[in-house]
Amino acid sequence: MGCMFSLPQDRLVAAERTPQIRETSFIEKMKKTNRNIVVFYGSQTGTAEEFSNRLAKDAHRYGMKAMVADPEEYDMSELPRLKEIPNSMAVFCMATYGEGDPTDNAQEFYDWMQATDDELEGVNFAVFGLGNKTYEHYNATGKYTDKRLAELGGKRVYDLGLGDDDSNLEEDFISWKEQFWPAVCEFFGVEPTGEDSSIRQFELVVHNDINMNQVYTGEMGRLNSFQTQKPPFDSKNTFLAPVTVNRKLNKGGTRHLMHIELDITDSKIRYDSGDHVAVYPTNDVSMVNRLGERLGVDLDTVFSLKNLDEESNKKHPFPCPTTYRTALTHYLDINNMPRTNVLYELAQYASDPQEQENMRKMASASTEGKALYQSWVVDSERNILAILEDLPSLNPPIDHLCELMPRLQARYYSIASSGRVHPHSIHICAVVIEYTTKTGRAFKGVATNWLKNKDVTDNGHEPTVPMYVRRSQFRLPFKASNPVIMIGPGTGIAPFMGFIQERAWQKDQGKDVGETILYFGCRHRNEDFLYQQELEDFERAGVLTQLNVAFSRDQEHKIYVQHLLKRNKEQLWKLIHSNNAHIYVCGDARNMARDVHTAFYEIAEEMGGLTHTQAVDYFKKLMTKGRYSQDVWS
Amino acid sequence: MESTKSKPRDSTGSDLSEQIKAATKDSHVRAENTQLMLNYQKGQITQTQYKLLLCSLYEIYQALEEELDRKADHPAVQPVYFPQELARLESLELDLEHFFGPHWRKRITVPAATHRYTQRLREIGKDSPNLLVAHAYTRYLGDLSGGQVLGKITQKSLGLSGNKGIAFFSFPGVTSPNRFKQLYRSRMNSIELTEQQRQEVFDDLQKMLSITEEASSEKRNDTASQSQSRTFSNSPILQFALGVGITLATVGMGVYAF
Repeated sequence: MGCMFSLPQDRLVAAERTPQIRETSFIEKMKKTNRNIVVFYGSQTGTAEEFSNRLAKDAHRYGMKAMVADPEEYDMSELPRLKEIPNSMAVFCMATYGEGDPTDNAQEFYDWMQATDDELEGVNFAVFGLGNKTYEHYNATGKYTDKRLAELGGKRVYDLGLGDDDSNLEEDFISWKEQFWPAVCEFFGVEPTGEDSSIRQFELVVHNDINMNQVYTGEMGRLNSFQTQKPPFDSKNTFLAPVTVNRKLNKGGTRHLMHIELDITDSKIRYDSGDHVAVYPTNDVSMVNRLGERLGVDLDTVFSLKNLDEESNKKHPFPCPTTYRTALTHYLDINNMPRTNVLYELAQYASDPQEQENMRKMASASTEGKALYQSWVVDSERNILAILEDLPSLNPPIDHLCELMPRLQARYYSIASSGRVHPHSIHICAVVIEYTTKTGRAFKGVATNWLKNKDVTDNGHEPTVPMYVRRSQFRLPFKASNPVIMIGPGTGIAPFMGFIQERAWQKDQGKDVGETILYFGCRHRNEDFLYQQELEDFERAGVLTQLNVAFSRDQEHKIYVQHLLKRNKEQLWKLIHSNNAHIYVCGDARNMARDVHTAFYEIAEEMGGLTHTQAVDYFKKLMTKGRYSQDVWS
Repeated sequence: MESTKSKPRDSTGSDLSEQIKAATKDSHVRAENTQLMLNYQKGQITQTQYKLLLCSLYEIYQALEEELDRKADHPAVQPVYFPQELARLESLELDLEHFFGPHWRKRITVPAATHRYTQRLREIGKDSPNLLVAHAYTRYLGDLSGGQVLGKITQKSLGLSGNKGIAFFSFPGVTSPNRFKQLYRSRMNSIELTEQQRQEVFDDLQKMLSITEEASSEKRNDTASQSQSRTFSNSPILQFALGVGITLATVGMGVYAF
């Protein structure tokens, strides 16, 4: 059988005993570092993690010590042991992702909750959920966590908080936690110590004499990965793809829609239509310079921010050492409105008492304070530069600012080309975000404006875009003969350009290609009918068997894609119910996806004689079987 | 025009994915696996058992993936052929090297039941590739569903750090397990099989399940462990169990035989 079984008893025992290499017990860590509160986060974009950090900081003001933990890094099945620590509590900041799913880092914890029958008696907990009402399963993960922990016998210290990113996530969070802490104090019988000073998480180290090839210049992972490009490329190792085409797609109107092509020759990057391209944008150069001037610092100073908590896995908030210029340009989000905690932390640096008071007020949960934040920051769309310019006595040290700003996130776009037809080129279709705020300032979306400015010049200079491909599961059916129904108004048409190109290729290969039907929508035929030429060519060639376009503003009443769907209910029902058609929806999650769902339910009810419940179930089944796919965003 | 009034399809329908799901759900082996999986969940897995498990998984995956690769263009394989997303062999090799060192190939030992199963896979690959999909489905989708949790449990029980020794449990090529499963199912359902061919798939599935039951009951007689029947909701752990059940049962047999 194998000689390991013939080991004598004592050696067998010794062979079984394995040394503990890494601390995966949050209980042990809490005991070692004297914490009584642990804040777990289920975070995808960093918001829930950020909220957890803020809660941990709050704890200090109430005489408690908290640690923040990623549930993926710890053994969550130890939760019942929390009662070993006196006056302890576990707080959960759980974001809901996609179709009501937990975030990647909370998947295992979620699975554990479902499967376990452990008892959580004596375990105190509270949950704050981060969600978005435009999605069907609003805050499903937060709600489930709260319900399940109570079911398992845990003691709920305070009610579930629900944050709605569609309305005002920040305000929801503030309101919740301002009630939460007094409830916690009452529960444990402690008085808040009322400390108002802020606590730094990182300490500044300035490097005066450092070799510049040791300094990060915008890389996400490996130092110098921009200079020496080595496949495979991913989120930590991006490929600098040259931009070969950058043209305006719309013929009129005030918006700017663009078609961009990235050259991926020699990158070994392969993609399928339906995949996403992730790009790492940078902030506007003049905004960064103005920040430097306003704060009176030399942006080319090389520095590091080192975590004061030596036990933490997160040594730096972003790749260090680097310069302030690089941090503000590549790593930090300086464009969006700062959250209230930023105002709270920076208030101490305002020398004018009125300005300081206003900042503290906006960070508080008082009705007046919330209203002030809402009008002065949110409605007026003031970013950090605007705040600094409008509060002249505010002079924070730049390193503290760098600690407080959230990370600049990668942006994902549905690829608008087919990997078979264009193996060396990735196409993007996007609309530039820009508008004037209430204070007369121009708000410009970071990534879309950055992309817009990637001009291919006359002398052939090609700017580059740091990117990688994230594989999706949004795919054409396996059999070319399967009919496809694609619904993608506005920039939602992107992946379908790839799909249609691929169907054309299949036809060229002599395959029997099924019905290829597109429902597209835009405002005006003469303004923003994206890819009109290409689509009409495909229609003429018989690749696109049906092109349905809704021009919402070309007539008195609004016409959208769902109206066109209803008009074709007979044909659609036949395709879906009898011909195994696959349905694809891409674009706006807020209204369009829901309206399209509704239109399909109505078609099933009218043509198939189903009740509403049956219709809902019917399409849910289609989703499970991969015949109804969505690529939607909010 | 008369509208086509029809009942919505019932739950088993004629989709291969639903039929296989139904067939495996009823398996009596589940009850037995529950006990094994409960032990695993509680971290009651020793390094020896885990190493044996890896050996068995390696043998099984070597056979399965070689057969899938060989028959990648076969109409019953091509639609569900996802080596980039799913392939396990390389990660198993890394894990085996971690535990057995560079000469791990010479040190692999597998119980007889694993051999029987592997042989069956080779036969199927050679003579009836239509049957491969059911095996690939139960193995891979099980691994995808429950593997993550068990990966962490294994890591903790054996004091492992980072990904060392548990590379098997991670699927870097899959961004959303749920969406991937939906895609996989749609692909399965595009495989065209005659009534008779479908029947062959189910007969083979039954055979596979009974091999497991056989192995489990041998183990049961030795250890006199009680099988608890429990109703879990669609626990991903149990989905994994069904796939691993074959392997775990064989592991169980191997370790307790002495």
